[in-house]
Amino acid sequence: MTMAALDTNTPVMEHEDTRDSRRLGIWLTLPAQILVLFIAVFPILMQVYISLTDWSPLDGIGWWQAHELWNSFANYSDLMADDRFWSALGRTVLVMAICVPVEFLLGLGLAILFVDDFPGRRFLYSVLLIPMMVVPAVAGYMFFMLFQSGGPVNDILSFFYGAPVTIAWLADPDLAFFAVIVSDIWQWTPLMFLILLAGMVGVPEDQLRAATLLGASWATRFRTIVLPRMKTIIIIALAIRVIENFKVFDNFYIMTGGGPGVATETISIYIYKVTQQELIWGYVAAVALVILIALSVVSAIAIKRMSRGVSQ
Amino acid sequence: MNRSLSFEIFRYAAILTIVALSLVPTLWMASMAFKPIAEWSATGADLTWWPKSPTLDNFRFLFGESSSDLIVALDRTAARPILASLLSAVFGTLIAMVAGTSAAYGLSRFGSGGNLPLALIQLRIFPPMAVMIPVMIMWAFLDLIDTWYGLALVYGIVTMPFAFWLMKTFFDDMPREIEDAALVEGCSRLRVFWKITLPMMRPALASSALFVFILNWSDYLIGLLLTTRDWVTIPVYMASLSSSMTGQLYGAKAALGLIAAIPPVVLGIAIQKHLVRGLTFGALKQ
Repeated sequence: MTMAALDTNTPVMEHEDTRDSRRLGIWLTLPAQILVLFIAVFPILMQVYISLTDWSPLDGIGWWQAHELWNSFANYSDLMADDRFWSALGRTVLVMAICVPVEFLLGLGLAILFVDDFPGRRFLYSVLLIPMMVVPAVAGYMFFMLFQSGGPVNDILSFFYGAPVTIAWLADPDLAFFAVIVSDIWQWTPLMFLILLAGMVGVPEDQLRAATLLGASWATRFRTIVLPRMKTIIIIALAIRVIENFKVFDNFYIMTGGGPGVATETISIYIYKVTQQELIWGYVAAVALVILIALSVVSAIAIKRMSRGVSQ
Repeated sequence: MNRSLSFEIFRYAAILTIVALSLVPTLWMASMAFKPIAEWSATGADLTWWPKSPTLDNFRFLFGESSSDLIVALDRTAARPILASLLSAVFGTLIAMVAGTSAAYGLSRFGSGGNLPLALIQLRIFPPMAVMIPVMIMWAFLDLIDTWYGLALVYGIVTMPFAFWLMKTFFDDMPREIEDAALVEGCSRLRVFWKITLPMMRPALASSALFVFILNWSDYLIGLLLTTRDWVTIPVYMASLSSSMTGQLYGAKAALGLIAAIPPVVLGIAIQKHLVRGLTFGALKQ
Protein backbone atom coordinates (compact mmCIF):
# COMPACT_ATOMS: atom_id res chain seq x y z
CA MET A 1 0.00 0.00 0.00
CA THR A 2 1.31 3.40 -0.88
CA MET A 3 0.02 6.85 -0.34
CA ALA A 4 -0.53 9.12 -3.27
CA ALA A 5 -3.31 11.15 -1.77
CA LEU A 6 -3.99 14.43 -3.49
CA ASP A 7 -0.59 14.30 -5.10
CA THR A 8 -1.45 16.76 -7.81
CA ASN A 9 2.09 17.74 -8.67
CA THR A 10 3.24 14.71 -10.54
CA PRO A 11 6.93 15.06 -11.22
CA VAL A 12 7.52 15.32 -14.91
CA MET A 13 10.78 13.91 -16.13
CA GLU A 14 11.12 15.25 -19.59
CA HIS A 15 14.28 15.51 -21.52
CA GLU A 16 13.95 15.67 -25.28
CA ASP A 17 11.09 16.53 -27.60
CA THR A 18 9.44 18.77 -25.01
CA ARG A 19 7.45 20.77 -27.53
CA ASP A 20 5.90 17.75 -29.20
CA SER A 21 5.21 16.21 -25.84
CA ARG A 22 3.53 19.32 -24.60
CA ARG A 23 1.34 19.46 -27.68
CA LEU A 24 0.38 15.80 -27.33
CA GLY A 25 -0.33 16.36 -23.64
CA ILE A 26 -2.71 19.16 -24.44
CA TRP A 27 -4.50 17.05 -27.04
CA LEU A 28 -4.80 14.16 -24.62
CA THR A 29 -6.33 16.26 -21.87
CA LEU A 30 -8.61 18.16 -24.24
CA PRO A 31 -11.64 15.82 -24.15
CA ALA A 32 -11.66 15.84 -20.36
CA GLN A 33 -11.33 19.62 -20.28
CA ILE A 34 -14.23 20.03 -22.71
CA LEU A 35 -16.42 17.71 -20.66
CA VAL A 36 -15.62 19.63 -17.47
CA LEU A 37 -16.50 22.90 -19.22
CA PHE A 38 -19.67 21.35 -20.52
CA ILE A 39 -20.94 19.97 -17.23
CA ALA A 40 -19.39 22.27 -14.66
CA VAL A 41 -18.40 25.69 -15.88
CA PHE A 42 -21.12 26.45 -18.40
CA PRO A 43 -24.04 25.05 -16.33
CA ILE A 44 -22.89 26.94 -13.26
CA LEU A 45 -22.79 30.23 -15.15
CA MET A 46 -26.26 29.45 -16.45
CA GLN A 47 -27.37 28.66 -12.94
CA VAL A 48 -26.13 32.04 -11.69
CA TYR A 49 -28.11 33.73 -14.48
CA ILE A 50 -31.36 31.85 -13.86
CA SER A 51 -31.10 32.20 -10.10
CA LEU A 52 -31.56 35.95 -10.48
CA THR A 53 -34.90 35.55 -12.23
CA ASP A 54 -38.39 34.11 -11.78
CA TRP A 55 -37.88 31.80 -14.73
CA SER A 56 -39.75 28.49 -14.88
CA PRO A 57 -39.98 26.00 -17.76
CA LEU A 58 -43.74 26.58 -17.87
CA ASP A 59 -43.50 30.25 -18.74
CA GLY A 60 -43.12 29.51 -22.41
CA ILE A 61 -40.01 31.63 -22.82
CA GLY A 62 -36.56 30.19 -23.38
CA TRP A 63 -34.05 30.21 -20.56
CA TRP A 64 -31.86 32.67 -22.49
CA GLN A 65 -34.68 35.22 -22.22
CA ALA A 66 -34.93 34.75 -18.47
CA HIS A 67 -33.64 38.29 -17.90
CA GLU A 68 -37.14 39.49 -18.76
CA LEU A 69 -38.17 37.96 -15.46
CA TRP A 70 -35.35 39.58 -13.52
CA ASN A 71 -36.18 39.80 -9.86
CA SER A 72 -32.92 41.21 -8.47
CA PHE A 73 -31.98 39.06 -5.53
CA ALA A 74 -35.49 38.09 -4.42
CA ASN A 75 -34.69 34.37 -4.68
CA TYR A 76 -31.81 34.76 -2.30
CA SER A 77 -33.79 36.72 0.25
CA ASP A 78 -36.62 34.18 -0.05
CA LEU A 79 -34.09 31.47 0.63
CA MET A 80 -33.07 33.08 3.90
CA ALA A 81 -36.68 32.91 5.06
CA ASP A 82 -37.40 29.44 3.70
CA ASP A 83 -37.87 27.25 6.78
CA ARG A 84 -38.27 24.10 4.73
CA PHE A 85 -34.86 24.64 3.11
CA TRP A 86 -33.11 25.21 6.43
CA SER A 87 -34.79 22.23 8.06
CA ALA A 88 -33.81 20.03 5.10
CA LEU A 89 -30.23 21.26 5.42
CA GLY A 90 -30.26 20.63 9.17
CA ARG A 91 -31.72 17.17 8.64
CA THR A 92 -29.05 16.33 6.07
CA VAL A 93 -26.37 17.27 8.58
CA LEU A 94 -28.14 15.28 11.30
CA VAL A 95 -28.31 12.20 9.06
CA MET A 96 -24.60 12.61 8.45
CA ALA A 97 -23.85 13.07 12.14
CA ILE A 98 -25.60 9.78 12.90
CA CYS A 99 -24.66 7.64 9.90
CA VAL A 100 -20.99 8.46 9.44
CA PRO A 101 -19.87 7.77 13.06
CA VAL A 102 -21.93 4.57 13.29
CA GLU A 103 -20.61 3.33 9.95
CA PHE A 104 -17.08 4.25 10.99
CA LEU A 105 -17.22 2.43 14.34
CA LEU A 106 -18.87 -0.65 12.86
CA GLY A 107 -16.40 -0.66 9.97
CA LEU A 108 -13.45 -0.24 12.32
CA GLY A 109 -14.72 -3.04 14.57
CA LEU A 110 -15.11 -5.35 11.60
CA ALA A 111 -11.69 -4.41 10.26
CA ILE A 112 -10.13 -5.34 13.63
CA LEU A 113 -11.86 -8.72 13.48
CA PHE A 114 -10.61 -9.28 9.93
CA VAL A 115 -7.07 -7.96 10.18
CA ASP A 116 -5.38 -11.32 10.60
CA ASP A 117 -6.09 -14.53 8.83
CA PHE A 118 -8.63 -17.13 9.90
CA PRO A 119 -10.39 -19.93 8.05
CA GLY A 120 -13.15 -18.55 5.85
CA ARG A 121 -11.78 -14.99 5.90
CA ARG A 122 -11.76 -14.41 2.16
CA PHE A 123 -15.26 -15.74 1.67
CA LEU A 124 -16.80 -13.80 4.56
CA TYR A 125 -14.97 -10.66 3.38
CA SER A 126 -16.60 -10.91 -0.04
CA VAL A 127 -20.02 -11.58 1.47
CA LEU A 128 -19.71 -8.53 3.71
CA LEU A 129 -19.04 -6.31 0.69
CA ILE A 130 -22.31 -7.24 -1.04
CA PRO A 131 -24.50 -4.46 0.43
CA MET A 132 -22.36 -1.64 -0.95
CA MET A 133 -22.53 -3.13 -4.44
CA VAL A 134 -26.29 -3.37 -4.49
CA VAL A 135 -27.74 -0.53 -6.58
CA PRO A 136 -28.78 2.11 -3.97
CA ALA A 137 -32.21 2.51 -5.52
CA VAL A 138 -32.73 -1.24 -5.31
CA ALA A 139 -31.61 -1.09 -1.68
CA GLY A 140 -34.34 1.51 -1.23
CA TYR A 141 -36.95 -0.91 -2.59
CA MET A 142 -35.55 -3.68 -0.37
CA PHE A 143 -35.89 -1.63 2.80
CA PHE A 144 -39.26 -0.36 1.67
CA MET A 145 -40.42 -3.99 1.66
CA LEU A 146 -38.66 -4.84 4.92
CA PHE A 147 -40.35 -2.05 6.83
CA GLN A 148 -43.92 -2.69 5.64
CA SER A 149 -46.29 -3.32 8.48
CA GLY A 150 -46.74 -6.92 7.27
CA GLY A 151 -43.04 -7.22 6.52
CA PRO A 152 -40.14 -9.16 7.97
CA VAL A 153 -38.95 -6.50 10.45
CA ASN A 154 -42.24 -6.65 12.28
CA ASP A 155 -42.19 -10.42 11.95
CA ILE A 156 -38.86 -10.63 13.78
CA LEU A 157 -40.10 -8.19 16.42
CA SER A 158 -43.24 -10.26 16.86
CA PHE A 159 -41.10 -13.32 17.46
CA PHE A 160 -39.23 -11.64 20.31
CA TYR A 161 -42.22 -9.76 21.67
CA GLY A 162 -44.43 -12.81 21.70
CA ALA A 163 -47.39 -11.04 20.17
CA PRO A 164 -48.03 -9.75 16.65
CA VAL A 165 -46.31 -6.40 16.05
CA THR A 166 -47.78 -4.24 13.31
CA ILE A 167 -45.83 -1.02 13.34
CA ALA A 168 -46.30 1.17 10.29
CA TRP A 169 -42.64 2.18 10.18
CA LEU A 170 -42.65 4.43 7.17
CA ALA A 171 -45.81 6.26 8.20
CA ASP A 172 -44.44 7.58 11.48
CA PRO A 173 -42.00 10.53 11.25
CA ASP A 174 -39.51 9.27 13.87
CA LEU A 175 -39.66 5.63 12.83
CA ALA A 176 -39.33 6.54 9.15
CA PHE A 177 -36.24 8.58 10.01
CA PHE A 178 -34.86 5.58 11.88
CA ALA A 179 -35.64 3.29 8.94
CA VAL A 180 -33.84 5.38 6.32
CA ILE A 181 -30.84 5.70 8.64
CA VAL A 182 -30.75 1.91 9.01
CA SER A 183 -30.75 1.49 5.24
CA ASP A 184 -27.84 3.91 4.88
CA ILE A 185 -25.82 2.18 7.59
CA TRP A 186 -26.56 -1.21 6.08
CA GLN A 187 -25.35 -0.12 2.67
CA TRP A 188 -22.27 1.90 3.54
CA THR A 189 -20.69 0.22 6.58
CA PRO A 190 -18.98 -2.21 4.15
CA LEU A 191 -17.28 0.75 2.45
CA MET A 192 -15.78 1.93 5.75
CA PHE A 193 -14.79 -1.65 6.51
CA LEU A 194 -13.12 -2.08 3.12
CA ILE A 195 -11.07 1.11 3.34
CA LEU A 196 -10.15 0.80 7.02
CA LEU A 197 -9.13 -2.83 6.61
CA ALA A 198 -6.88 -1.91 3.67
CA GLY A 199 -5.26 0.69 5.92
CA MET A 200 -4.92 -1.65 8.87
CA VAL A 201 -3.33 -4.42 6.82
CA GLY A 202 -0.70 -1.89 5.74
CA VAL A 203 0.58 -1.37 9.28
CA PRO A 204 4.06 -2.95 9.44
CA GLU A 205 3.97 -6.35 11.11
CA ASP A 206 7.46 -6.11 12.66
CA GLN A 207 6.61 -3.04 14.72
CA LEU A 208 3.60 -4.82 16.14
CA ARG A 209 5.69 -7.91 16.92
CA ALA A 210 8.34 -5.82 18.63
CA ALA A 211 5.72 -4.11 20.74
CA THR A 212 4.22 -7.47 21.65
CA LEU A 213 7.63 -8.71 22.77
CA LEU A 214 7.99 -5.62 24.92
CA GLY A 215 4.78 -6.67 26.63
CA ALA A 216 2.45 -4.06 25.20
CA SER A 217 -1.18 -5.10 25.51
CA TRP A 218 -3.42 -5.35 22.48
CA ALA A 219 -5.17 -2.10 23.35
CA THR A 220 -1.87 -0.26 23.77
CA ARG A 221 -0.55 -1.54 20.46
CA PHE A 222 -3.74 -0.52 18.73
CA ARG A 223 -3.72 2.95 20.26
CA THR A 224 -0.03 3.75 19.90
CA ILE A 225 0.93 1.97 16.67
CA VAL A 226 -2.08 1.09 14.55
CA LEU A 227 -4.27 4.16 14.94
CA PRO A 228 -1.55 6.80 14.34
CA ARG A 229 -0.45 4.90 11.23
CA MET A 230 -4.02 4.88 9.96
CA LYS A 231 -4.60 8.58 10.49
CA THR A 232 -4.64 9.54 6.82
CA ILE A 233 -6.74 6.57 5.81
CA ILE A 234 -9.26 7.34 8.53
CA ILE A 235 -9.48 10.93 7.30
CA ILE A 236 -9.98 9.76 3.72
CA ALA A 237 -12.65 7.23 4.70
CA LEU A 238 -14.53 9.81 6.76
CA ALA A 239 -14.22 12.44 4.03
CA ILE A 240 -15.63 10.08 1.39
CA ARG A 241 -18.60 9.15 3.53
CA VAL A 242 -19.29 12.77 4.53
CA ILE A 243 -19.27 13.82 0.87
CA GLU A 244 -21.41 10.92 -0.32
CA ASN A 245 -23.79 11.09 2.62
CA PHE A 246 -24.49 14.74 1.99
CA LYS A 247 -25.79 13.81 -1.47
CA VAL A 248 -28.08 11.09 -0.16
CA PHE A 249 -31.19 10.71 -2.29
CA ASP A 250 -31.91 7.31 -3.86
CA ASN A 251 -32.81 5.03 -0.97
CA PHE A 252 -34.41 7.81 1.10
CA TYR A 253 -36.59 9.00 -1.75
CA ILE A 254 -37.70 5.49 -2.68
CA MET A 255 -38.45 4.45 0.90
CA THR A 256 -40.37 7.52 2.01
CA GLY A 257 -40.41 10.16 -0.72
CA GLY A 258 -39.06 12.50 1.94
CA GLY A 259 -42.08 11.96 4.13
CA PRO A 260 -44.16 11.49 6.09
CA GLY A 261 -44.50 15.25 5.84
CA VAL A 262 -40.91 16.34 5.59
CA ALA A 263 -39.60 13.91 8.22
CA THR A 264 -36.93 12.39 5.96
CA GLU A 265 -36.47 15.23 3.49
CA THR A 266 -32.77 15.77 2.85
CA ILE A 267 -31.38 18.64 0.82
CA SER A 268 -31.31 16.63 -2.44
CA ILE A 269 -34.89 15.48 -1.95
CA TYR A 270 -35.92 19.05 -1.15
CA ILE A 271 -34.38 20.38 -4.37
CA TYR A 272 -35.88 17.55 -6.40
CA LYS A 273 -39.34 18.12 -5.02
CA VAL A 274 -39.26 21.86 -5.57
CA THR A 275 -38.06 21.24 -9.14
CA GLN A 276 -40.75 18.70 -9.89
CA GLN A 277 -43.76 19.95 -7.98
CA GLU A 278 -43.49 23.68 -7.72
CA LEU A 279 -41.57 24.33 -10.90
CA ILE A 280 -40.01 27.57 -9.69
CA TRP A 281 -36.65 26.90 -11.28
CA GLY A 282 -35.19 30.33 -10.73
CA TYR A 283 -35.56 29.75 -7.02
CA VAL A 284 -34.21 26.19 -7.16
CA ALA A 285 -31.20 27.43 -9.08
CA ALA A 286 -30.52 29.87 -6.23
CA VAL A 287 -30.83 27.08 -3.65
CA ALA A 288 -28.52 24.79 -5.60
CA LEU A 289 -26.00 27.57 -6.11
CA VAL A 290 -25.86 28.38 -2.41
CA ILE A 291 -25.22 24.69 -1.69
CA LEU A 292 -22.50 24.52 -4.36
CA ILE A 293 -20.73 27.63 -3.08
CA ALA A 294 -20.89 26.44 0.53
CA LEU A 295 -19.53 23.03 -0.46
CA SER A 296 -16.75 24.56 -2.56
CA VAL A 297 -15.57 26.68 0.35
CA VAL A 298 -15.74 23.82 2.86
CA SER A 299 -14.05 21.37 0.52
CA ALA A 300 -11.32 23.82 -0.49
CA ILE A 301 -10.44 24.29 3.18
CA ALA A 302 -10.66 20.56 3.82
CA ILE A 303 -8.50 19.65 0.82
CA LYS A 304 -5.86 22.18 1.86
CA ARG A 305 -5.78 20.84 5.41
CA MET A 306 -5.79 17.26 4.22
CA SER A 307 -2.92 17.69 1.81
CA ARG A 308 -0.95 19.31 4.60
CA GLY A 309 -1.80 16.35 6.83
CA VAL A 310 -0.78 13.90 4.13
CA SER A 311 2.55 15.51 3.36
CA GLN A 312 3.58 15.41 7.01
CA MET B 1 -0.39 -12.70 16.69
CA ASN B 2 -1.45 -15.42 19.06
CA ARG B 3 -4.87 -15.00 20.42
CA SER B 4 -6.83 -17.08 22.83
CA LEU B 5 -9.55 -19.56 22.00
CA SER B 6 -12.16 -17.31 23.58
CA PHE B 7 -11.16 -14.54 21.19
CA GLU B 8 -11.58 -16.89 18.23
CA ILE B 9 -15.04 -17.86 19.43
CA PHE B 10 -15.97 -14.22 19.92
CA ARG B 11 -14.63 -13.36 16.49
CA TYR B 12 -16.66 -16.00 14.67
CA ALA B 13 -19.78 -15.19 16.67
CA ALA B 14 -19.49 -11.46 15.95
CA ILE B 15 -18.65 -11.88 12.27
CA LEU B 16 -21.34 -14.44 11.61
CA THR B 17 -23.97 -12.30 13.35
CA ILE B 18 -23.07 -9.28 11.26
CA VAL B 19 -22.88 -11.31 8.05
CA ALA B 20 -26.31 -12.78 8.77
CA LEU B 21 -27.82 -9.36 9.48
CA SER B 22 -26.25 -7.83 6.38
CA LEU B 23 -27.62 -10.61 4.20
CA VAL B 24 -31.24 -10.37 5.38
CA PRO B 25 -32.36 -7.53 3.05
CA THR B 26 -30.76 -9.07 -0.03
CA LEU B 27 -32.03 -12.55 0.72
CA TRP B 28 -35.50 -11.21 1.45
CA MET B 29 -35.60 -9.63 -1.98
CA ALA B 30 -34.22 -12.78 -3.62
CA SER B 31 -36.85 -14.91 -1.91
CA MET B 32 -39.60 -12.43 -2.75
CA ALA B 33 -38.65 -12.62 -6.41
CA PHE B 34 -39.70 -16.28 -6.49
CA LYS B 35 -42.86 -15.99 -4.41
CA PRO B 36 -46.32 -16.30 -5.92
CA ILE B 37 -48.67 -13.42 -5.24
CA ALA B 38 -50.37 -15.20 -2.34
CA GLU B 39 -47.11 -15.03 -0.37
CA TRP B 40 -46.05 -11.47 -1.23
CA SER B 41 -47.47 -9.68 1.71
CA ALA B 42 -48.74 -11.09 4.93
CA THR B 43 -50.31 -9.93 8.10
CA GLY B 44 -48.28 -10.98 11.10
CA ALA B 45 -48.34 -14.70 11.58
CA ASP B 46 -48.42 -16.13 8.09
CA LEU B 47 -45.35 -14.38 6.71
CA THR B 48 -43.29 -16.77 4.62
CA TRP B 49 -39.54 -16.34 4.72
CA TRP B 50 -38.88 -18.85 2.02
CA PRO B 51 -41.24 -19.29 -0.95
CA LYS B 52 -43.54 -22.23 -0.18
CA SER B 53 -44.33 -22.76 -3.84
CA PRO B 54 -41.49 -21.10 -5.74
CA THR B 55 -42.40 -19.78 -9.16
CA LEU B 56 -40.90 -17.87 -12.06
CA ASP B 57 -44.16 -16.00 -12.62
CA ASN B 58 -42.71 -12.68 -11.44
CA PHE B 59 -40.00 -12.83 -14.10
CA ARG B 60 -42.47 -13.91 -16.79
CA PHE B 61 -44.75 -11.08 -15.76
CA LEU B 62 -41.92 -8.55 -16.15
CA PHE B 63 -41.41 -9.59 -19.74
CA GLY B 64 -45.01 -9.27 -20.72
CA GLU B 65 -46.79 -12.48 -19.86
CA SER B 66 -50.06 -11.74 -18.12
CA SER B 67 -50.53 -13.74 -15.01
CA SER B 68 -53.88 -15.20 -14.07
CA ASP B 69 -53.29 -14.43 -10.39
CA LEU B 70 -52.35 -10.84 -11.02
CA ILE B 71 -55.23 -9.96 -13.31
CA VAL B 72 -53.19 -7.03 -14.60
CA ALA B 73 -50.67 -7.10 -17.41
CA LEU B 74 -47.93 -4.57 -18.02
CA ASP B 75 -48.46 -2.14 -20.83
CA ARG B 76 -44.70 -1.76 -21.01
CA THR B 77 -42.39 -4.66 -20.23
CA ALA B 78 -39.09 -4.48 -18.39
CA ALA B 79 -37.10 -5.29 -21.52
CA ARG B 80 -36.83 -1.68 -22.70
CA PRO B 81 -35.68 -0.27 -19.32
CA ILE B 82 -33.06 -3.00 -19.07
CA LEU B 83 -31.83 -2.04 -22.54
CA ALA B 84 -31.88 1.65 -21.53
CA SER B 85 -29.79 0.98 -18.42
CA LEU B 86 -27.36 -1.16 -20.38
CA LEU B 87 -26.90 1.21 -23.32
CA SER B 88 -26.49 4.33 -21.23
CA ALA B 89 -24.16 2.67 -18.71
CA VAL B 90 -21.99 1.05 -21.40
CA PHE B 91 -21.64 4.18 -23.52
CA GLY B 92 -21.26 6.37 -20.44
CA THR B 93 -18.40 4.11 -19.39
CA LEU B 94 -16.87 4.41 -22.84
CA ILE B 95 -16.95 8.22 -22.72
CA ALA B 96 -15.55 8.31 -19.19
CA MET B 97 -12.77 5.87 -20.02
CA VAL B 98 -11.66 7.54 -23.27
CA ALA B 99 -11.61 11.06 -21.81
CA GLY B 100 -10.34 9.96 -18.39
CA THR B 101 -7.58 7.65 -19.64
CA SER B 102 -6.13 10.05 -22.17
CA ALA B 103 -6.22 12.94 -19.69
CA ALA B 104 -4.61 10.75 -17.03
CA TYR B 105 -1.82 9.85 -19.44
CA GLY B 106 -1.37 13.47 -20.44
CA LEU B 107 -1.02 14.52 -16.82
CA SER B 108 1.03 11.55 -15.71
CA ARG B 109 3.61 11.81 -18.53
CA PHE B 110 3.55 15.39 -19.80
CA GLY B 111 2.17 17.29 -16.82
CA SER B 112 -0.56 18.86 -18.91
CA GLY B 113 -4.00 19.61 -17.55
CA GLY B 114 -2.75 20.45 -14.08
CA ASN B 115 -6.11 21.97 -13.22
CA LEU B 116 -7.92 18.68 -13.75
CA PRO B 117 -7.23 16.83 -10.48
CA LEU B 118 -8.78 19.48 -8.27
CA ALA B 119 -11.56 20.30 -10.74
CA LEU B 120 -12.52 16.65 -10.83
CA ILE B 121 -12.49 16.33 -7.05
CA GLN B 122 -14.76 19.35 -6.86
CA LEU B 123 -17.06 17.80 -9.45
CA ARG B 124 -17.22 14.71 -7.29
CA ILE B 125 -18.09 16.68 -4.16
CA PHE B 126 -21.06 18.48 -5.72
CA PRO B 127 -24.39 16.74 -5.17
CA PRO B 128 -25.73 15.80 -8.62
CA MET B 129 -29.10 17.31 -7.71
CA ALA B 130 -27.50 20.75 -7.34
CA VAL B 131 -25.74 20.56 -10.72
CA MET B 132 -28.58 18.99 -12.64
CA ILE B 133 -30.96 21.94 -12.98
CA PRO B 134 -29.02 23.72 -15.73
CA VAL B 135 -28.20 20.35 -17.26
CA MET B 136 -31.91 19.58 -17.50
CA ILE B 137 -32.48 22.90 -19.21
CA MET B 138 -29.57 22.34 -21.59
CA TRP B 139 -30.69 18.81 -22.39
CA ALA B 140 -34.21 19.99 -23.11
CA PHE B 141 -32.72 22.69 -25.34
CA LEU B 142 -30.53 20.16 -27.17
CA ASP B 143 -33.37 17.63 -27.44
CA LEU B 144 -31.46 15.08 -25.38
CA ILE B 145 -34.17 14.43 -22.78
CA ASP B 146 -35.41 10.84 -22.75
CA THR B 147 -32.68 9.47 -25.01
CA TRP B 148 -30.14 6.83 -24.06
CA TYR B 149 -27.31 8.86 -25.58
CA GLY B 150 -28.24 11.98 -23.64
CA LEU B 151 -28.13 9.92 -20.48
CA ALA B 152 -24.87 8.25 -21.50
CA LEU B 153 -23.25 11.67 -22.01
CA VAL B 154 -24.10 12.77 -18.46
CA TYR B 155 -22.96 9.41 -17.06
CA GLY B 156 -19.70 9.77 -18.93
CA ILE B 157 -19.05 13.21 -17.48
CA VAL B 158 -20.11 12.29 -13.96
CA THR B 159 -17.93 9.18 -13.74
CA MET B 160 -14.98 10.55 -15.71
CA PRO B 161 -13.27 11.69 -12.46
CA PHE B 162 -13.12 8.07 -11.31
CA ALA B 163 -11.70 6.87 -14.62
CA PHE B 164 -9.18 9.71 -14.55
CA TRP B 165 -7.95 9.12 -10.98
CA LEU B 166 -7.83 5.34 -11.33
CA MET B 167 -5.90 5.43 -14.59
CA LYS B 168 -3.60 8.16 -13.30
CA THR B 169 -2.50 5.97 -10.39
CA PHE B 170 -1.99 3.04 -12.76
CA PHE B 171 0.10 5.18 -15.15
CA ASP B 172 2.09 6.61 -12.24
CA ASP B 173 2.85 3.07 -11.07
CA MET B 174 3.95 1.85 -14.48
CA PRO B 175 7.71 1.68 -14.97
CA ARG B 176 8.79 4.09 -17.69
CA GLU B 177 11.79 2.13 -18.92
CA ILE B 178 9.81 0.31 -21.59
CA GLU B 179 8.33 3.51 -22.96
CA ASP B 180 11.75 5.17 -22.88
CA ALA B 181 13.29 2.28 -24.78
CA ALA B 182 10.66 2.56 -27.51
CA LEU B 183 11.28 6.30 -27.74
CA VAL B 184 14.98 5.69 -28.22
CA GLU B 185 14.07 3.27 -31.02
CA GLY B 186 12.45 6.21 -32.75
CA CYS B 187 8.75 5.66 -32.03
CA SER B 188 6.64 8.78 -31.72
CA ARG B 189 5.09 9.63 -28.40
CA LEU B 190 1.61 8.93 -29.67
CA ARG B 191 2.67 5.58 -31.09
CA VAL B 192 4.26 4.60 -27.80
CA PHE B 193 1.01 5.44 -26.00
CA TRP B 194 -1.12 3.55 -28.50
CA LYS B 195 1.06 0.55 -29.26
CA ILE B 196 2.94 -0.01 -26.01
CA THR B 197 1.40 1.68 -23.01
CA LEU B 198 -2.27 0.94 -23.63
CA PRO B 199 -1.77 -2.78 -24.40
CA MET B 200 0.32 -3.10 -21.24
CA MET B 201 -2.43 -1.39 -19.29
CA ARG B 202 -5.12 -3.80 -20.44
CA PRO B 203 -5.85 -5.28 -16.99
CA ALA B 204 -5.91 -1.81 -15.43
CA LEU B 205 -8.19 -0.53 -18.17
CA ALA B 206 -10.51 -3.48 -17.72
CA SER B 207 -10.88 -3.09 -13.97
CA SER B 208 -11.28 0.69 -14.21
CA ALA B 209 -13.94 0.27 -16.87
CA LEU B 210 -15.82 -2.27 -14.77
CA PHE B 211 -15.65 0.03 -11.77
CA VAL B 212 -17.02 2.95 -13.80
CA PHE B 213 -19.70 0.69 -15.28
CA ILE B 214 -20.88 -0.27 -11.78
CA LEU B 215 -21.19 3.41 -10.89
CA ASN B 216 -23.17 4.19 -14.02
CA TRP B 217 -25.39 1.16 -13.65
CA SER B 218 -26.14 2.19 -10.04
CA ASP B 219 -27.51 5.59 -10.95
CA TYR B 220 -31.07 6.51 -10.10
CA LEU B 221 -31.29 10.29 -9.79
CA ILE B 222 -29.91 11.23 -13.22
CA GLY B 223 -32.17 8.72 -14.94
CA LEU B 224 -35.08 10.06 -12.94
CA LEU B 225 -34.37 13.62 -14.07
CA LEU B 226 -33.46 13.05 -17.70
CA THR B 227 -35.72 10.23 -18.87
CA THR B 228 -39.46 10.36 -18.98
CA ARG B 229 -40.91 7.42 -20.87
CA ASP B 230 -39.15 5.71 -23.75
CA TRP B 231 -35.73 5.36 -22.17
CA VAL B 232 -36.43 5.21 -18.44
CA THR B 233 -33.79 3.18 -16.61
CA ILE B 234 -34.47 0.14 -14.44
CA PRO B 235 -34.84 1.87 -11.05
CA VAL B 236 -37.05 4.59 -12.53
CA TYR B 237 -39.21 1.97 -14.19
CA MET B 238 -39.48 0.02 -10.94
CA ALA B 239 -41.61 2.76 -9.42
CA SER B 240 -44.28 2.06 -12.02
CA LEU B 241 -44.62 -1.54 -10.87
CA SER B 242 -47.74 -1.05 -8.85
CA SER B 243 -51.35 -1.04 -9.84
CA SER B 244 -54.54 0.29 -8.42
CA MET B 245 -55.96 -3.21 -8.22
CA THR B 246 -53.14 -5.09 -6.53
CA GLY B 247 -51.19 -2.25 -4.94
CA GLN B 248 -47.43 -2.71 -4.85
CA LEU B 249 -46.31 -5.50 -7.15
CA TYR B 250 -43.74 -6.69 -4.61
CA GLY B 251 -42.83 -9.86 -6.46
CA ALA B 252 -42.26 -8.12 -9.78
CA LYS B 253 -40.26 -5.36 -8.08
CA ALA B 254 -38.11 -7.89 -6.28
CA ALA B 255 -37.54 -9.86 -9.48
CA LEU B 256 -36.40 -6.76 -11.35
CA GLY B 257 -34.37 -5.62 -8.33
CA LEU B 258 -32.59 -8.95 -8.40
CA ILE B 259 -31.85 -8.56 -12.11
CA ALA B 260 -30.48 -5.05 -11.44
CA ALA B 261 -28.45 -6.12 -8.40
CA ILE B 262 -26.65 -9.08 -9.96
CA PRO B 263 -24.26 -7.34 -12.44
CA PRO B 264 -22.66 -4.92 -9.94
CA VAL B 265 -22.33 -7.55 -7.22
CA VAL B 266 -20.68 -10.05 -9.58
CA LEU B 267 -18.42 -7.44 -11.23
CA GLY B 268 -17.64 -5.82 -7.88
CA ILE B 269 -16.43 -9.09 -6.42
CA ALA B 270 -14.45 -9.71 -9.60
CA ILE B 271 -12.54 -6.43 -9.24
CA GLN B 272 -12.36 -6.54 -5.43
CA LYS B 273 -8.62 -5.93 -5.54
CA HIS B 274 -9.08 -2.50 -7.08
CA LEU B 275 -12.19 -1.38 -5.21
CA VAL B 276 -10.24 0.51 -2.56
CA ARG B 277 -8.19 2.31 -5.17
CA GLY B 278 -11.30 3.30 -7.09
CA LEU B 279 -13.36 4.36 -4.14
CA THR B 280 -10.63 6.50 -2.61
CA PHE B 281 -9.83 8.17 -5.94
CA GLY B 282 -6.52 6.34 -6.06
CA ALA B 283 -5.40 7.77 -2.73
CA LEU B 284 -5.10 4.31 -1.28
CA LYS B 285 -3.82 1.28 -3.14
CA GLN B 286 -4.08 -2.25 -1.97
